Amino acid sequence: MAKLTTKKLTKQFGGLVAVHDVSFSIVSGEILGIIGPNGAGKTTFINLISGIYAPTSGTIKFEGKDISVMPAHERAKIGIARTYQLIHPMEDLNLLENVMVGFLFAGNKSMKEARLAATELCTEMGLERLEREVSQLTMLEVKKMEIAHALANTPKVLFLDEIMAGLNTDETKEMIALVKRLARERNLAVGVVEHVMGVIRELTDRVIVLEAGEIIAEGPYEIVSKNKRVIEAYLGGATDAEN
Amino acid sequence: MKRVSSFILPVVLVLAAVVFPLVLGPYPQTVARTVFKYMALALTWDMLFRSGQVSFGVAGFFGLGTYATVLLAVKAGFSFPLAMLLGAVIAAVFAYALGFLVLQLRGTYFSITTLALAEIFRVILRNWTSFSGGPEGIVLQQIVFGGQSKALYWLNLGVLLVVLLVSVWLENSKFHFALTSIRDNEVSAQTSGVNIFRTLLIVFTITAFLQGLVGAVDVVSYGYAMPDSAFDANYTLLPLAMVLLGGEHSTWGPVIGSVLLGVASEYLKLKIPYGHLLVYGVIIILVILFMPRGLLGFFRRKKGANRG
Repeated sequence: MAKLTTKKLTKQFGGLVAVHDVSFSIVSGEILGIIGPNGAGKTTFINLISGIYAPTSGTIKFEGKDISVMPAHERAKIGIARTYQLIHPMEDLNLLENVMVGFLFAGNKSMKEARLAATELCTEMGLERLEREVSQLTMLEVKKMEIAHALANTPKVLFLDEIMAGLNTDETKEMIALVKRLARERNLAVGVVEHVMGVIRELTDRVIVLEAGEIIAEGPYEIVSKNKRVIEAYLGGATDAEN
Repeated sequence: MKRVSSFILPVVLVLAAVVFPLVLGPYPQTVARTVFKYMALALTWDMLFRSGQVSFGVAGFFGLGTYATVLLAVKAGFSFPLAMLLGAVIAAVFAYALGFLVLQLRGTYFSITTLALAEIFRVILRNWTSFSGGPEGIVLQQIVFGGQSKALYWLNLGVLLVVLLVSVWLENSKFHFALTSIRDNEVSAQTSGVNIFRTLLIVFTITAFLQGLVGAVDVVSYGYAMPDSAFDANYTLLPLAMVLLGGEHSTWGPVIGSVLLGVASEYLKLKIPYGHLLVYGVIIILVILFMPRGLLGFFRRKKGANRG
């Protein structure tokens, strides 16, 4: 059964339709790629699902329940989590404390429990010296912290918004393996927004392609990548479609 | 070991504050009371500032506490303890109700609106003469404890200790994480399950209660309330300056800042009447230019730099 579905989901900013009639679903254990040229509406789509924006029309259902107007902090509690394209960690909290936030509020754990759970999760992700300030972390560690920060919600659905950006080839490989492992172990439904097609090919079971806010193609990467409309959309925009 | 040693200094300071009037005379006690008053207000201002919200409404809730106490005591014949407690509760109720509106606002919009609220309270009480006594204000029949200097000192110290405990509790509970994450990144805080509005409403209400309580204690200690002094803008501005000097987002920062500026202003008042405000201004400008995170932040950074 689908964990999360949207039906004719639409978001309009004034005259601009950022997301238009998007209907999709994702099941547990699945890693779904969300691709499309810049400005296609990928991040807006995630903002709608996580509750940052309210939809103009259409519905979002989580485990069969309509959550279209549920506030973001409640969606965090029922099992929706995400990372952010532009990373703004909590600069005034250290590495461990950043990860504790989700356990404390989405998970409603006590300080003691949250500290323990966050330590465990960080260790599982290969993060060390957890008392460090965020400014002392490497890019890879920051990205891992972002994922841990989201996983602290104990989510069932997780959206990763360009989590590989800024990583080198080896780090990207490590990250792909990590995301795969975490998704399998926790039976997560994962949505991945990425620009690097190599990552999408390695990581995802299925892909949806957005252009100007609409789904123009859907299916396994190998098939979608040969789709004529998809190639046209990319040639008009980004140039890294063949990476 | 670290936990034990971090308790020693606060305990020693509190004990010193408690025995202070047994050693020193009425004048230092009065100075200390003024420092306590501003320290308490500085701490309450900082509590909300830990979420990034800059309130200019401190004088408003201080004044509400003052007037509610005095009116309950004079017009309704309530005993002092009850009038003071209810005075603080009334300030909190106002904050809770108004919070539904003003806490939707952010940045300068929030600040200006809280400033306007404080002004509105003052203007109403200044003009509603039949209810509040108008510009001349209201005089209490008697001061609490018959005006005994030591008793007044301990009363003011007691309220300060309550404020300190609340501040330390906020620093060591989930609220620390909620407030810090709201300050650092509201969007990300939400998607981690932080109920931003509820958190701000609770802290706004708690701080208004404490500000009202400080106002209540102030009025029973001095025996009269006037709109222009109860809602004096200094109750908003001086605590802010003290926090900036001492160090923001902490309990120690406001404590250090209020002792330094409080004692300095008392000394300067004697040397150059009204000139102390000029010195205040210069101190604030220098702090913002050279120590943007206050004394505490300045020394912490130095320590950090030495470490590596």
